Amino acid sequence: MSTIQAALSGILLGGLYALMAAGLSVTWGVLRVINLAHFGLMLVGAYLTFELASAWHINPLWTLVVTVPAMFVLGGALQLAFDALRISELNSLLLTFGLLIIIVQSVSNIWSADFQRMTAAVNPYATESVRLGRFVFPVPTLFAFAVAILIIGCAHLVLRRTFAGRALRAYAEDRAVAGAFGVDHRRVGVLLAATSGGSAAVAGMLFSLGSSLTPATAYEWFGTVFAVVILGGVGHLLGTLSAGLLVGLLSGVVSVVLSPATAPFVLFSLIVLALLLRPRGLFAARTAR
Amino acid sequence: MTRRGLIGIPLAVALLAALSLYRETIGFPLFYLGLLTTMLFWVTQATSWNILSGYSGYFSFGQAAYVGVGAYTTAVLFGRHGVNFYLTILVAAALCAVLGLAMGALAFRLRALRGEIFALLTLAVPFILAALARINPAIDGGQGIIVSIPEYPEGIGLFQDYLYLATLLVAGAAVFAAYAIRQSRFGWALSAIHDAEDVAEGLGVATFRYKLQALVASAVIGGVGGSIFALQIGFVAVDSVFQLTVPLFVIVMSVLGGRTHWIGPVIGVVFVVLVQDRLTASGLGRWQLIALGAILAALVVVAPDGIYARLKARPLLAAAVAVPITAVVWLVAQPLDGMLAGLLAATAIALWPARRRPPPSVDRGVVDTDRSPIRVDKSSSDGEEAVVECRGVTKYFGGVRALEGVDFTIREGEIVGLVGPNGSGKTTLVSLLAGSLRPTRGTIRIAGQDLAHLPAHRVAHAGVARTYQIPRPFASMTVRDNVAMAVMFGRSPLPLGTARREAQRPLDVVGLGALADAYPSALNLHQRQLLEMARALAADPKVLLLDEALAGLNPAEIDNAVQVVRRVHASGVSIVIVEHLLRVVKALATRIVVLDQGSCLADGDPTEVLADPAVVRAYLGRRAHARDS
Repeated sequence: MSTIQAALSGILLGGLYALMAAGLSVTWGVLRVINLAHFGLMLVGAYLTFELASAWHINPLWTLVVTVPAMFVLGGALQLAFDALRISELNSLLLTFGLLIIIVQSVSNIWSADFQRMTAAVNPYATESVRLGRFVFPVPTLFAFAVAILIIGCAHLVLRRTFAGRALRAYAEDRAVAGAFGVDHRRVGVLLAATSGGSAAVAGMLFSLGSSLTPATAYEWFGTVFAVVILGGVGHLLGTLSAGLLVGLLSGVVSVVLSPATAPFVLFSLIVLALLLRPRGLFAARTAR
Repeated sequence: MTRRGLIGIPLAVALLAALSLYRETIGFPLFYLGLLTTMLFWVTQATSWNILSGYSGYFSFGQAAYVGVGAYTTAVLFGRHGVNFYLTILVAAALCAVLGLAMGALAFRLRALRGEIFALLTLAVPFILAALARINPAIDGGQGIIVSIPEYPEGIGLFQDYLYLATLLVAGAAVFAAYAIRQSRFGWALSAIHDAEDVAEGLGVATFRYKLQALVASAVIGGVGGSIFALQIGFVAVDSVFQLTVPLFVIVMSVLGGRTHWIGPVIGVVFVVLVQDRLTASGLGRWQLIALGAILAALVVVAPDGIYARLKARPLLAAAVAVPITAVVWLVAQPLDGMLAGLLAATAIALWPARRRPPPSVDRGVVDTDRSPIRVDKSSSDGEEAVVECRGVTKYFGGVRALEGVDFTIREGEIVGLVGPNGSGKTTLVSLLAGSLRPTRGTIRIAGQDLAHLPAHRVAHAGVARTYQIPRPFASMTVRDNVAMAVMFGRSPLPLGTARREAQRPLDVVGLGALADAYPSALNLHQRQLLEMARALAADPKVLLLDEALAGLNPAEIDNAVQVVRRVHASGVSIVIVEHLLRVVKALATRIVVLDQGSCLADGDPTEVLADPAVVRAYLGRRAHARDS
């Protein structure tokens, strides 16, 4: 009983992991930038939501009106810079590691290193939950799950169906050829990175709905989110979504059956195993290479 | 190669040790001793990181794992159970070696694993270990462990002196190890892995073993450093050892100082620790990490090679500026401010963009002195021993059939032209012969030795050398050293000095002798392709695989290359040449093998094969042939 509850809660939480990982995965896969600063954008998004809601008593959901454009611009600007500086994949890892440290420390300087949480007065969703039969789901997780599915689903459709999506996929496959066929990599890349930044703002908001914030949270996301990115296959949105749900499910079940502290071991072993058996991601099509 | 480090490192250690041993005589303040101890701790860690990540290019974010394992080993065994302190250092080293072996065995076994994924895997390790320590009461259990002061000889003085000397000893050993590795075969192998890993493997470098050794060396040094660090902090808790600032610091330090040289991390450490200290002293402690992050980001953009490489270009100017600035600020403010000011000035000089000098003109390098055609005795190939024997070789990539049941023999002294339309499986066959791919079915034997279970570097030792369609020289080495690598790691390994002398012969054969001291970036395409050939030749192969070694050359260069191939052949090497230019193939080959859609279409005398209607059809297309017939 409690195991099923844990499994379901885990899956719901997995949706948020998937949303966090999606932006990272797509920019890595298409733009060849491993953007550790993405964690910073999520953190800033979460803190902005906290700040706006707490200080100005705005409904946390409405803070997206501010945070999404802000992170959209920031994400795009970063990509413009990476592009202008011609950063290689490995150097992007170093550069964005530096940026992440700057962001996290700045957040810590502004909002202090203590745990902070929106009070019930400003965050009406925190304490609510939905009862389905014998199972109880907190509203923030349910909500996060729904939004994550919605965003990833839309992004997937955009990538599959629209012209811009096709251009992006062509660019990911072969930059030179895509460029020769008129894909303006700059515009497309900046747009993609900006969108990814926007998704970070949403992920940050969703996280702040249900959890306490501390600057070090950004580092705590590392393990889970990269597990999702790698398991899902770099650059594959639906793979990322499935991997997110799977990781959430496993963490939930392992936490109940064994103990919460063993969850990272299981996750790590899973990544290693997946890399051994399916180096291109769990859900990657068996395409020829 | 200079041997400055051999004397310099022990001398530096002795001088630094004297600071503590005669501290009271010279009035050296304890405060500076503490600062030096911190620096030396980081020297150990940054050097440890640099041995794997700097030399071989496999970036690790997992430095905190070694510090943590080392510190906890000492904390639990010495702090809690009273085991001899020195014994715990050994245990820490052993545990870290095991950790390194385990990580490496997992990470480096994966062929698909790229550097980025390795970096992310190492990122996870400290988190896992931290969780383990936190939940396990036998290790920590969330309480932290107090580490008392161990007994030490009385003559040393205060505990701070003892700690300083111990840290100094470890740091000195670490830097010396990094120096020794850099000078040895090991270091050359790591550089080759850094520049082009699979090329190195193809030349006979046991890349897996070297990477694993580097990882273990790095882990052991990091662990020993962590062990001493437990004494330094006196109270070991999860958050103080398994923290993300450890990899941040070592990466910033090494990248700042320079990753390819052993002294780079040391320079970086002095710089970073001074900046840290001065920021704290001026009450800007919470800007420390922001400053470090900014330094890292800026350096990746401005000077990815680090300060040391830039300083080497203008040492006198840097010293001339830095010394007076240091002196002035020292007198006006504090000594540390002076040092930092001097360092900053030197860095500014080092990073000041250099005027781009045009690379030295090297075009006169390739002069074909020997115009007389070398006669290839075509009849000599008959009845000779088979050097390469393929039986029923089949290779699938997922569902794509690249090769299907290919039988293929090369006898001693032959030049076999391997031709066929694009996508017919030529390069796949070359990769199979070179051991970088494995056949789905079938056997390949080189000089009677079955390749089935040999790693690529052993295939190289069995007598196969290849060139790449797109030349891939080791960018950080001169032309001579590129070739010397193949000699050093060939069938009968030679030391560097001999290998460099040996390298002259293959360089002369291809006509690159005059360019031996240039770097690959100064070579044109033709010269790079010749370098590929020289490198392959230096491995003293039985069979040489030339994969489109003439692609993209102008007619004069092609003629020169044909001469070179003849000279190579005359030196007793069997050759497989993959080429689209039938003129070249006709001129060189003693036999032609035609591949089409993964199977062998024709095999025999060049003139006969090229006249075969099936071959014409394969090359010109089915429709063209249908119209003809």
